[in-house]
Amino acid sequence: MKLSKMSPRKLLQAYGTILALALIVLAFSLIRPASFCTLTNFINITRQISLLVMISLGTTLVMSVNEFDLSVGSMASLGGVMAALLAVKGLPMAACFALPVAAGVLIGTVNGFIVARFRVLSFITTLGMSTVLSGVIYRLSGGATIFEGIPKSFSALGTAKLGRVPLLSVLMVVFVALFWFLMQQTTLGRKLYAVGGNEETARVAGIRVQKCKTVAFALCSAMACVTGMLIASRVGSANTTAGEGYFLQSYAAVFIGCTVSRKGVPNVLGTLVGAAILGVLANGLTMLQMPVYMQDIITGGIIIFAVIAQKLGRGDAHS
Amino acid sequence: MLLQTEHVSKEFNGIYALRDVNFALEAGEIHGLVGENGAGKSTLIKLLTGVYSLQEGRILWDGEPVSIGSPAAGQGLGIHVIHQDRTLIPTFDGVENAYLGLEYPTRLGRVDWAAMRRRVRETAARLGIALDLGKTAAELSPPQRTELEIVRAMMHECRLLILDEPTAALTDKESARLFALLRSLREKGTAILYVSHRLEEIFLLADRVTVLRNGELVDTVPTKSITQEQLIAKMTDGAPVRAVRRRRDFGPVLLEARDIASRDGTVKNGSLTVRSGEILGLFGLGGSGRTELLECIFGCRKLARGQVLLDGAELAAPSPENSLRHGMALISEDRRGKAMVGSLSVRDNIMLSGIDAFASHGIVQTKAETGAVNAQIKALRIKLADPRQRMLELSGGNQQKVVFARVLLTAPRVFLCDEPTQAVDVSTRGEIHRLLRQKADEGAAVLYVSSDLKELLEVADSIQVMSRGRTRERWKNEDLTAQQVLACCYETQERRAQP
Repeated sequence: MKLSKMSPRKLLQAYGTILALALIVLAFSLIRPASFCTLTNFINITRQISLLVMISLGTTLVMSVNEFDLSVGSMASLGGVMAALLAVKGLPMAACFALPVAAGVLIGTVNGFIVARFRVLSFITTLGMSTVLSGVIYRLSGGATIFEGIPKSFSALGTAKLGRVPLLSVLMVVFVALFWFLMQQTTLGRKLYAVGGNEETARVAGIRVQKCKTVAFALCSAMACVTGMLIASRVGSANTTAGEGYFLQSYAAVFIGCTVSRKGVPNVLGTLVGAAILGVLANGLTMLQMPVYMQDIITGGIIIFAVIAQKLGRGDAHS
Repeated sequence: MLLQTEHVSKEFNGIYALRDVNFALEAGEIHGLVGENGAGKSTLIKLLTGVYSLQEGRILWDGEPVSIGSPAAGQGLGIHVIHQDRTLIPTFDGVENAYLGLEYPTRLGRVDWAAMRRRVRETAARLGIALDLGKTAAELSPPQRTELEIVRAMMHECRLLILDEPTAALTDKESARLFALLRSLREKGTAILYVSHRLEEIFLLADRVTVLRNGELVDTVPTKSITQEQLIAKMTDGAPVRAVRRRRDFGPVLLEARDIASRDGTVKNGSLTVRSGEILGLFGLGGSGRTELLECIFGCRKLARGQVLLDGAELAAPSPENSLRHGMALISEDRRGKAMVGSLSVRDNIMLSGIDAFASHGIVQTKAETGAVNAQIKALRIKLADPRQRMLELSGGNQQKVVFARVLLTAPRVFLCDEPTQAVDVSTRGEIHRLLRQKADEGAAVLYVSSDLKELLEVADSIQVMSRGRTRERWKNEDLTAQQVLACCYETQERRAQP
């Protein structure tokens, strides 16, 4: 369908969320032209949202097969703790970052296997896994933040810059591109959406549902792990609960992102937009010296509004 | 006049689903509503029951203009509908289901279950329906569920009862019971709007019949004054419905099922063979295990024992994926539940099984994909606005064509078709029959399940009966009569019933 042929309602439905993001940016730019609307600040925002975007890419995948992964928060924390401990042990940096990812893939595979093989609710499975991971974190770290003996080079990934652009922002762009390609251009992506749309049909159509779900969970845990390591790298220490704050935020980003898609399904670019809305709000409201509780109220309200707007736009709300 | 629509129109995305419809319904009549898929039958029903809101025209009820803004408003007027997809809650028992949408009676603040049970029982008795109200809907047979829905409709004042393909899941005998019930409702003054693709039912049951075509009302005529051929002509704009050519020379056995039993016990002993070029009709009454046998063969139901052989070679580890790879395809009877993804686009649905063939190293070749999708849409004459349209927006017949398009892309040699023409219009039905015959002529083996015996006698080369989980006698479809086949079904059933 061409843009010009779409009714205003259709347009709003398709681009309403992006429009909202533009309006938010515009509003802050008008209120704080000198501090908000600067290249430095925009680059800053990309760095601020980069971690959220990366963890949300994984949850996008899991949600696309109609499942939840509640363990992403503790998975991220564990990723940071593992990487930091390995760094303290003096392993080469490549190993410090690669080994936790392997562990993440393994844990996600276990999640996916349990959910798909035994048809257990992912909600419960990953809630259980989250608790298990918290225990593992405590065992590894003794419950304390790890910061002593971490080599300087550990912080490179999280703090390096390419010119003016933080490496984190670059990584974000790379991962978004990878996941976009995965979801839109590969057979795996199509199959994930089919499984999410109707699992039974997908099965009868010859799609290996169990495999699809397992892959989604594995990639989700891997991304959570990557995010956790980058958090640790950025601050130069590994907090045992560093990932927890990202868990709910990432689902908010994915849900807002669903409104960007005409089908209302989780999608990579939508997730990016969702995370950007959350990031811009946090950045702008902080500049307005809005108290944190007000930021929470506004951000939460916008999430709820976005979901309602999407339902209204699709015309399947009970009105 | 109980109900009248004046110049009623409804459009979706610029396409008229109904255009300028003037429809009238009297109290105490059974009114048939027929038309091909996409003719506007569902849209009309949804307007009358308040699911869709009216855009143009008006609706008169008892001669007064009314606005039916919601299903509750429709029920308030006494309009009730029984859908082809039943709307009972599986885990609720008969009493609770009958009370869906009604205020529960209370006594001293507590739900008065005794009073509820009494009222439901009275309603059922008044209708002459004997039902175990303590059973959950999931435990009831399909005809019992339909009866429970009728009880539910009759709990309120019901002046217009709309039935949408109510016999789709019923056998002939079960249908007859339903018809008797509908006739007695008519005697009591309830108007009945009866939607069905089974024209013989319309002639058996309806006083008048209304024909819709492409969203327009073609005609309303007394059923006595029209023949089936004339009715079909009105529905299809005079295009002749061609009979399917029958052939008799078959190749070697392509599909063989040996002594199959399912783990859940619904299939006890399924054995059959289908040769290349042959359409084998598998007939069974409700609960005979026919659907389950197909699912066993295809590998989406667990086997307790038995073998599936393709070209004489055993299919190890049956699974849908494995079956598809070996050239077997299943058209499931449960279209919404097992054959399509409603939320995805038509394109994605067509590509559901065959996507790997349009990809290299896991990356989709969009150009080749689009070409294949468009070719299928054209070849099967699927009516749609855009391949990116959501599957749910298509009519039933077009959805079924999409399912066939998906299956055809895997180039199957064995077709397992379970009620492939269920709730599909006359011309699509003919197209599906011709398509399967053409595939058989090209050497495919077709296993065709239907609960419509007349349809099987029309399409199949051979017919096999299944009852009580076991495959029974098999005949060549030459001078075979419905009586012979049915006799076998009932005979084996009775023999089982009194061991």
